[in-house]
Amino acid sequence: MSMLDWWMQVLGIIIVVGPFLLLVGLGIPPLLSVKLSERAVSRSVQFVTSVGLLAGLGLLGLMLSTGKRHVPIVLAHWVDIPDYHMLLKIEFDRLSVPFVILTFLLCGTISAFSAKYMHREGGFNRFHMLYALFLTGMIVTSVSGTIETLFAGWEMVGLSSALLVAFYQERPAPMRNGLHVWVVYRVSDAALLLASIWLHHLRGHGNFDAFLGATPWPDGKTILSSWDALFVGVLLLAAAIGKSALVPTSGWLPRAMEGPTPSSAVFYGALSVHLGAFLLLRVSPLLDQSLLLSVLVVVVGLTTAIFAALFTRVQTDIKCALSFASLTQVGLIVAEIGLGFRYLALIHILGHGCVRTLQFVRAPTLLLDHRRLEDALGTRLGSQYAPPPEEAADSFRSRFYRWAMERGYLDAFLVERCVRPILAIFVFCDSLERRWTDWLSGTRSRRTEYLQRHTGTADDLP
Amino acid sequence: MLPAQGPITAFAFLNPLQALESIPFDEGLAKGYRLFGCQPYLSEERYRSEFGRGRIEAVDIIAELKQELGARGDEVIAGLSTRFELRQAMLLYPLRFGPTEELQWFIAETDALRHIRDEAPTAIRKLFLDETQHWAMRDLRNGHHRVDDPAHSAQQALLQNLFGDLPSRFGAAQIEAWNARTWEAFSLQSLWRVSRHGAHHPVDHDHPHPVARRHRDWLLKATGQDSDALVHEVMIRFCSAYADQGFADWALPNRELGFYQSFLRLFAAQGRSPGDWARPLIGEAQRLLQAQTEPLDCLLAELDELGVSAEEQPDFVAASLLALRGWAGLIWQMEVRGDRVPLPANPGAIVEFLAVRLLMERLAMRYLAETRLDLHVPLAELRSALQKRLAPAQGASVTQRAFLVFQLAQVLGWSVPRLFALSRTEWDQLIAEIEAFTGLERRKIFQRGFEHHYRQRALDAFSVQATQLASRVEKPRFQSVYCIDTREESFRRHLEEVAPQIETFGAAGFFSVAIYYRGAADAHYSTLCPIVVRPQHWVTDEVVLSFEEQHQQRARTRKALGTASHEVHRRSRTIAGGAVLTAGLGVLASVPLVARVLFPRLTARFRKLLRKFVEPPPVSRLHLERAEDPPGPEIEHVGFNPSERANIAERLLRDIGLTSNFARIVFFFGHGSSCLNNPHKACYDCGACTGGAGGPNARAVAAFLNETGVRSELQRRGINIPAETYFLGGLHNTGDDTLTYFDLDLLPGSHRADFAFASKSLNDACERNAHERCRRFQSAPLNITRAGAFKHVEERTEDLAQTRPEFGNCTNAMGFVGRRSRIRGMYLDRRCFLHSYDPTTDDLAATILGRILGAVVPVCSGINLLYYFSYVDSPGWGSGTKLPHNVTSLLGVMDGPASDLRSGLPWQGVEIHEPMRLLLVIESRPEAMRAIMSRSVVVSQILKNGWMQLALLDPDSNALLQYVNDEFVPYHPETKALPQAPTSIEWYRGWRDHLPFAQIQPAAREGVPS
Repeated sequence: MSMLDWWMQVLGIIIVVGPFLLLVGLGIPPLLSVKLSERAVSRSVQFVTSVGLLAGLGLLGLMLSTGKRHVPIVLAHWVDIPDYHMLLKIEFDRLSVPFVILTFLLCGTISAFSAKYMHREGGFNRFHMLYALFLTGMIVTSVSGTIETLFAGWEMVGLSSALLVAFYQERPAPMRNGLHVWVVYRVSDAALLLASIWLHHLRGHGNFDAFLGATPWPDGKTILSSWDALFVGVLLLAAAIGKSALVPTSGWLPRAMEGPTPSSAVFYGALSVHLGAFLLLRVSPLLDQSLLLSVLVVVVGLTTAIFAALFTRVQTDIKCALSFASLTQVGLIVAEIGLGFRYLALIHILGHGCVRTLQFVRAPTLLLDHRRLEDALGTRLGSQYAPPPEEAADSFRSRFYRWAMERGYLDAFLVERCVRPILAIFVFCDSLERRWTDWLSGTRSRRTEYLQRHTGTADDLP
Repeated sequence: MLPAQGPITAFAFLNPLQALESIPFDEGLAKGYRLFGCQPYLSEERYRSEFGRGRIEAVDIIAELKQELGARGDEVIAGLSTRFELRQAMLLYPLRFGPTEELQWFIAETDALRHIRDEAPTAIRKLFLDETQHWAMRDLRNGHHRVDDPAHSAQQALLQNLFGDLPSRFGAAQIEAWNARTWEAFSLQSLWRVSRHGAHHPVDHDHPHPVARRHRDWLLKATGQDSDALVHEVMIRFCSAYADQGFADWALPNRELGFYQSFLRLFAAQGRSPGDWARPLIGEAQRLLQAQTEPLDCLLAELDELGVSAEEQPDFVAASLLALRGWAGLIWQMEVRGDRVPLPANPGAIVEFLAVRLLMERLAMRYLAETRLDLHVPLAELRSALQKRLAPAQGASVTQRAFLVFQLAQVLGWSVPRLFALSRTEWDQLIAEIEAFTGLERRKIFQRGFEHHYRQRALDAFSVQATQLASRVEKPRFQSVYCIDTREESFRRHLEEVAPQIETFGAAGFFSVAIYYRGAADAHYSTLCPIVVRPQHWVTDEVVLSFEEQHQQRARTRKALGTASHEVHRRSRTIAGGAVLTAGLGVLASVPLVARVLFPRLTARFRKLLRKFVEPPPVSRLHLERAEDPPGPEIEHVGFNPSERANIAERLLRDIGLTSNFARIVFFFGHGSSCLNNPHKACYDCGACTGGAGGPNARAVAAFLNETGVRSELQRRGINIPAETYFLGGLHNTGDDTLTYFDLDLLPGSHRADFAFASKSLNDACERNAHERCRRFQSAPLNITRAGAFKHVEERTEDLAQTRPEFGNCTNAMGFVGRRSRIRGMYLDRRCFLHSYDPTTDDLAATILGRILGAVVPVCSGINLLYYFSYVDSPGWGSGTKLPHNVTSLLGVMDGPASDLRSGLPWQGVEIHEPMRLLLVIESRPEAMRAIMSRSVVVSQILKNGWMQLALLDPDSNALLQYVNDEFVPYHPETKALPQAPTSIEWYRGWRDHLPFAQIQPAAREGVPS
């Protein structure tokens, strides 16, 4: 191994291990009832992200100078039996390195932002611990070399996202919306898990370089047959749909704006929402193999882009408007991937992430900006000031407006067509079980369900 | 009753319970609590912790409790203790409340039955144990000496029944050898038994069910499902679309037809419903449209359908409106104060709001009742149907009652025999008495104690400080006038320290100039006057002719840049534009992102530099002289006529008592605050300008006073302004502590030297003021230097991530209306509103004071009470933490993607506040106050009903009168001296928390009034 290779390996390991250490460092003390100071927490997040950023840039430099396009690092064998193995393996290529750099750059900047923004807020440490979990998940997902490693990172991102949406635990709305996000994530996780099981079933392992071809990204050729590629691809697309809020799951994205502004910015504006697109990019050789799959991806992407662009036009608040604006571009990026423009999609992700983060962190300044713009233009801004049409608007306009205001009725559709039937099945099974246990115990079972809850304040006379 | 907060860009500091100011403070709070469901006081726990750290002392509680109870306090309850003693014990010693199960666990698992409470005073403890021990030896063991008396034997049977087995538990045989610990345990166990016995037949109080006014409350209880959650989701979306002032690209269709019509037309159109519950909504909307039902008829029909009787209507309507009070309040404000928003609401919008709301509520409730409860009754009968289903409300359980008696007996020394001897009626009386002192009542007394503690210290400090009698500085180097705002207190104090040869004054920050104002680079007029005033005049700022060309050119540049930036913002949300922007140039956004977050101050400097090229040219004039009547926004109608200008000038000078002894240069400083990324920016601006910066007002009044015409008119009216006196307007930025002066180009050459001296002193005061402010910021080190502090406050205003650019009027606790010289040199810790007033120039009816108080009392109490409420229940009255806030409709903020509109102050703006009613100290006499109160309903209501505390300082001595229960009673100070320090910094440095009063007395200070 040459000196340069050795350095590349070291930098690669620093990139992955840093966030892990951070997570441990922030996660363990609270378990031991040790309260870290705000300063210590934000310093350590900033340190790790800066080191990671430098390592990422260094690695990029080395790869460019040596012309090496693929740096795999095997960290550990998890399961290693003949014909079957699971690997903890990471790899750096033209897709993962830019993603890693973007992640560290945005996470670093936003952590500096939230060090001040979250100052003296209850849950400061919880926020940063979840933030570290998110960072770790993002890095692991980006650099994963096997589908099982990717799944691990994917889960961490999902968990931290849902918990950060529900950051304000004392109010019901964040809890409700956090749960909504969590459910959508779980469904998409299940699809990813199925895809990875299927791959293992087919080949006995889930190494990307094996089933996506040894040529570095994006020129790999998959060894899967067209039908296998379609099957796995559809499952992966389902995973991407949930994670990137593509149609029909788009309803969760605005709901995710419950958390503090910086988490909305970095999660749903910049990084986490692109993860679905990233997954599709990673497995893009599958798309080359199956035309039908590519068409599906393009359709989903374009539909999302069009829907979201229309939704955003009726939004009256800045965060929802930005979240749908963000989704518009994500839909477009997905369509680009389906059309085969891999590099374009990558550049689009990087640029979009930066723009949206900036817009999100500046969201509260909307009123000031608006005032300045009006002053500069010397007029009121907004179609609201245009003279109303001669007659009352026709019902088509109302109908279209309502469709956009109700976000295409997508959530209602999901509830009616997916949630309710599944729920009905569960309720039915539950009633069977209850009958069964009642019969077994000879009396009413599950007595805890009938206990009276304590409500109201306990510290006062009634 | 609805929140009076209009657009958040014009922040209105008003008492959230303003509608209840006609009833006494505590009653108002209790009523507000019932109506709004928000806490009226801090929690009892919090008061106890304040008690623990000495912020409330026992003397405070005792004094306030005595005041509250009066003669009722001496009544003896059940022969055990007086009512005063009982209540005092309930306040001073922590009581444990809890659900029955918790208390049972507590009794069983802790040492509650082995050790007397630690808080019990030693003497009481001894008394309790001795009496119980004697009783046990005397009565319990040898009780059979009067077998012939039947009443006695019944008592004896009960005694044996209750306690018979108790001695044997501890070894009855060795009872004479029991040690102290055994006796303690025995006494407590018997106490517990007798308490349970006494509480066993609970008094039959009627515990009214907490009034569940709305059907929704009943449904929520019965199903756990909130119909409001369903209705609000649609309501919030629709209200924000209706209220939108130009954010969304597509306007709400048919908005011009009004709230009700646009709602009906929107939902009458084909399409799916927003949810299962709302399926019939489309049909209903079509029906109402076809029948052309008027909103009011629709509302009445809905009320009828819900079975709301005529006498119940007002309360029901109030409760329904308050359920989504932020939005309802906004729509109401848009309707009644259409002058404050670009797009007002249609007349009657609030009625339409309610009609729409009730229509949807009906659908949601029917849906829930049918699907969750399988209850198919007409909605009119829903409430009674649900009431039958639900278990009736229960009062306290035996254990809960007994445990209170058990706890109180230990600290009040009610021994077991005394309790055992109580008759049934006495027990009832005792328990009723304990329960009558509810949590709300206890917290009320705690709150009074909290205020009492501060008031005593404040009045003591005044009585010490005010031994210095009024005097004017002879030949002051300059004079300056500030807003009444608490933030200017420290500024003025520092300035007086820096330059003792000067005078400062305080006035309401709009300086009696109520205007609509449009700056040279502004597109629209903004309102600069208190919220209660509707301005009658318009003022514009115009660039002088010599710069006209540059002005036009820069305006074009701004317009071009503005158009570009607007397009970028807008297009970034579209498909194609967004794609080009983000894919093409997106990565470049990382530069401003990183720069602005990591190097805010540097970036701000850079941006300021660039902005120099597009700002309007520096030399401009206010357009103040009106060409044609009547006043209006068009250029000929802008400004004032000569007599209006003289009236304003005269009024201001007389108000602040500056009618003689003018310096060569007199400043008026309005104030405003700059900060970034803060929807609540306006709440840091001038309260007297409704969240605007008072610069133009100061500039205008200075310009009036420099006019020869005005001066000669004033001379006719008895105010002689010397020819060499020059007035200058300015703006104090309370965010970064900088000053801006207006119309400096007009300053006569003869006054250059005076200005140089003044501006040097003022800059010095700015830096010192910034330093004093930094002690409150946790992110500024306590040992920060003055230069460092100045930098720190500048950075705070430029930082995107900063949620606390400053603390505004937070910590306000007091107000003083009187001559500055009476209290000059008193360290008030930025907690005091200061209005200048010279009682010697006022007439017998106190005309001047009357008009000052007409503004000061409602404005200051509005600010103070908004802080009070926003602090005691931040998510309830205030707007909670600002971190998840989301600007909506360009008018307000929501929590996250959809919530009720949040009014009130955010937690970050109030977190260092101490919630107390303002203590107003006025240099005046009772007769004058009586005269004013009889003239002004607003003033007398607020003061008589105790929404503000009042004390009078005698103009000729340091005697103080307190206003209590509509009487002026002399205040007897407890101290004769205050701590002293040579400078403010010597007093405040190294300390973050509130500071006590002090006298700033430099050892050598010549020519200063003492």
